[in-house]
Amino acid sequence: MSSSTSSDIVVQAKHLGKAYQLYARRNDWLKQVMLGWWKSYFKPFWVLRDIDLQVRRGESIGILGRNGCGKSTLLQVICGMTLPSHGELRVNGRIAPVLALGSTFDLELSGRENVMIGGAVLGLKRAEVLRKFNSIAEFAGIGDYMDQPVKHYSMGMRTRLAFSICAHVEAEILVVDEALAVGDAAFQRKCLDWIDNFRKTGTLLFVSHSMAEVRRLCTRAIWIEDGRIREQGDPSEVIRNYHRALVVEKDDVSRFSAARS
Amino acid sequence: MPSVNVVNGKQIVVEDLGPAERAVRFFAKPFLQMLHHRDLIQAILRREVAERFKGSIAGWVWAVVAPLLAIAVYTFFFAGKLDLPPEFIITSSPNTNYALFILSGIIVFNFWSEMAFRAPMLLHEYVHFIKQTIFPSDMLAMISTLRATLYTVISIAVLLIFQVIVVGSLPWTMLLLPLIFIPFVAFVVGMSWFLCAVGAFTRDAGYLMINIVPLFMFATPIFYSHTSLPPPWNLVIYLNALTGYVDVMRDIMLLGKLPHWPVYAWTLFTSFVTFYLGYWFFDRYRNVIVDVI
Repeated sequence: MSSSTSSDIVVQAKHLGKAYQLYARRNDWLKQVMLGWWKSYFKPFWVLRDIDLQVRRGESIGILGRNGCGKSTLLQVICGMTLPSHGELRVNGRIAPVLALGSTFDLELSGRENVMIGGAVLGLKRAEVLRKFNSIAEFAGIGDYMDQPVKHYSMGMRTRLAFSICAHVEAEILVVDEALAVGDAAFQRKCLDWIDNFRKTGTLLFVSHSMAEVRRLCTRAIWIEDGRIREQGDPSEVIRNYHRALVVEKDDVSRFSAARS
Repeated sequence: MPSVNVVNGKQIVVEDLGPAERAVRFFAKPFLQMLHHRDLIQAILRREVAERFKGSIAGWVWAVVAPLLAIAVYTFFFAGKLDLPPEFIITSSPNTNYALFILSGIIVFNFWSEMAFRAPMLLHEYVHFIKQTIFPSDMLAMISTLRATLYTVISIAVLLIFQVIVVGSLPWTMLLLPLIFIPFVAFVVGMSWFLCAVGAFTRDAGYLMINIVPLFMFATPIFYSHTSLPPPWNLVIYLNALTGYVDVMRDIMLLGKLPHWPVYAWTLFTSFVTFYLGYWFFDRYRNVIVDVI
């Protein structure tokens, strides 16, 4: 990238779409694999449709939307965990995904051993994890539990440890998915302070159902509905409209059905 | 260089490469990936090793006890009940001949069967890593095979010590062991890539392996020698790729002679083809696997 304007853009998505293949019968995927060139045996279920998104370096984006609207899928696509089915996506910079905190912990292993694995999975060298270990332990603040098997941890402690690992990755883009809901208020404040500090240098993509957090952290809010961007712009304005819609529009369960697409 | 660059469901590779360069890229890719993710491989391998004897007090003692137990069983119970080809009479005690003969075959088979059983479930074991983190799922087959390799190396060491005790010496061809063992590991890794990709789509792969792996125990010359089979079966049995590995391993470990070159060439061929076909297959479906698992 030569020009300064294009290198400022860390996430560039054009007409991004993601469809999962839904099969009516359990074994139809087998037919799809073998006879897919002839006809298709699945219904595409579009979780994301026509997403146009541009994120500049240093921006903090809050993503709002109801359950199943495609927020998490959007984050997964941006992180490169799953491929979009349609459209263009370009991401520049080292991403640290803070999704489903602690889900990769091995319950039998100690917190210390899980830090080694978790750090490696986030792309840290072994030497880096060892160097940062004390800092990770201190941030997590779980004391002597560090050497106990994770199965003896409470959910809050797991979240503390997992977030603490993510906080030490030195990423350029931080992708946070409803990560902080479990921790106690003190730890949440600690995390928010840390994110606040991160925002000075990095780019933030932030999914939360807590409007207060979005209002505090984000420079722009994006409201996603049915896999499309319904509204984006100034956080307080988007949040106000989103709130109004939540009250006025009923909880329409039919959005989970594939038939509509 | 963008860290993610996708257009219409296809990853965009910026370089424009000729066919020869693309081939080199393909053949080097598994190894470059391994080099790139070496710290991750190390971390997960530690976990795997810790997990193998999880909750056991004796721990890795079991890795030594298992082959010892096998030696005891084959020495005392199988002796005299099997026809051993005359060339395998290498000690004065007939019983230990059987033990050496069978154990050298069963070590190869156990290594293979551990991965044949495990590979279909492998991605399910690591589903959180695959779905929630940016994770090189192709490294899992390598990591779990490495663990099985550690275990196999212990078994081989026990066998060699036993051989030194009962025969008094080891043949010099022992030194050639890596030349067959490394291709064998590559063969198992390739098979694991294939099986774990299929296993991600359907659990049937796991059930299928549970049923056919025991059959392979008899379709592989472990308790007999392929030379005792009538033609053309003594050649047909090489279609089971394990036969070649067992054959070469016995030649260099027990008999102290160089393997027949067509047999060795065949093992190199099956190893190379399985490794790269397995990798090609896994790589082709890896992005689909994330969505279906």
